[in-house]
Amino acid sequence: MKDDIIIRAEDVKKYYNGGEIKALDGVTAEVGRGEVVVVIGPSGSGKSTFLRCLNLLETPTGGHIYFEGTDITARNVNINLHRQRMGMVFQHFNLFPNMTVLRNMTIAPMKLLKKSKAEAEERAMGLLKRVGLEDRADAYPQQLSGGQKQRIAIVRALCMEPEVMLFDEPTSALDPEMVGEVLDVMKNLAVAGMTMVVVTHEMGFAREVGSRVIFMDEGHIVEENTPEQIFSNPGSDRLKQFLAKVL
Amino acid sequence: MSKVMEQWLSSAPEWILEGPEWLNSLLYKLFKCFIYDERYMMLIKGLKNTIILTFFALLIGLALGVIVSLIRFTWDRQHAEMKGSGKVILGIANAISRIYLTVIRGTPVVVQIMIMFFVIFASSRNKILVGCLSFGINSGAYVAEIIRGGILSIDGGQMEAGRSLGFGYVSTMRYIILPQAFKNVLPSLVNEFIVLLKETAVVGYIGLADLTYAGNTIGGNTYEYLYPLLAVALVYLAIVMILTWLLGKLERRLRSSER
Repeated sequence: MKDDIIIRAEDVKKYYNGGEIKALDGVTAEVGRGEVVVVIGPSGSGKSTFLRCLNLLETPTGGHIYFEGTDITARNVNINLHRQRMGMVFQHFNLFPNMTVLRNMTIAPMKLLKKSKAEAEERAMGLLKRVGLEDRADAYPQQLSGGQKQRIAIVRALCMEPEVMLFDEPTSALDPEMVGEVLDVMKNLAVAGMTMVVVTHEMGFAREVGSRVIFMDEGHIVEENTPEQIFSNPGSDRLKQFLAKVL
Repeated sequence: MSKVMEQWLSSAPEWILEGPEWLNSLLYKLFKCFIYDERYMMLIKGLKNTIILTFFALLIGLALGVIVSLIRFTWDRQHAEMKGSGKVILGIANAISRIYLTVIRGTPVVVQIMIMFFVIFASSRNKILVGCLSFGINSGAYVAEIIRGGILSIDGGQMEAGRSLGFGYVSTMRYIILPQAFKNVLPSLVNEFIVLLKETAVVGYIGLADLTYAGNTIGGNTYEYLYPLLAVALVYLAIVMILTWLLGKLERRLRSSER
């Protein structure tokens, strides 16, 4: 593995109902700087739970998460400061409906990074231009299409200048013809060198953009390899079955 | 001849006194109820007290309501994951909030205000202060449940989005959840405000001269109840109609941002 590790998950467990349901049962993985790690697997395999554990939106039942060398699962850690450096994109966008697009993007940098309004808006407008939505700065989320909403959600997270971006099934709630525009934005982000962890069902994206693919099932990592190996030379029967269904 | 009649005969214009009997009698009664002895001043002073009571009770109620609703919501959502002294403190605050809601919503406001004035603040003669406090504490219980409902109506993804950007729990509430919740519950809050305005009418039980009390006093002094009470009712109605109109404008402005 590379020396420059941004995130290291160590034996992460997430149990519900006192251990009756084991969503994650000892997952260990690393994310290196500049890597695009794509997590695939059937629904209920724990891939979303794993992603949400990385920025502690879910509190792991056991194990450790190291972010830039700090154990963020330790009790005395201020998780808010670390989350500022980990952007997250949700399946259902979660834009703030009572704010304009521009306000959605500037509220966090202004309140948390103490940026001036002009500074925050300049960065926001620059990012909007990059995703081709600079003319929607004053629109409200309700006035946007799903694909536009998700592109805004991505640049909203980028406004905080994060070290790593977490994507939780970013295209699963979109109409098929809008998936492409969101994947394009993510692809450009990867090319620009952003570290990304992507939970997705888009196998094309995994194969083309991913630097590493993790296949999860029943709360475990079953297989972890380069996209070429995963897709053309799957090692386990479980992965073969899964790929046979989705490809 | 009574003093009122004397003054009426000396001050009323000729054409009324010589006019039809029904008009003469109506205007005489209005004169007796509102003009003579500057009785209209009682209504104005009463209205002033009603407005002071409602306004400060509203402020106290809103403050209490926000605090209690946040305690209740946070406890319900978070207590399973909390540990240590924070959990103990919040648990106690939650228990107090629940008792507060049960007692205040379970007893009549008129009983509450009498207990406040004659028992708890028996040494204080400041009726307006006791009134504001009593109605504020009463209103806070209803406002708390209204706001809690508003917070519950906000999608959980909003909290997650705020937290994922690095906002703390309190900041996310303040900047992201509460503004949306407040907008959703605005009609219910204004309704509570209207109820509060009319409920202050029972403050007469501790002898504070509010609008209703003034109308009742004029009625008692003149043996003429119809006109003073009608006037009181019309003033309440006018205030409520103005409030409703203002709310409509405010709501349209808030909603226009969404479409």
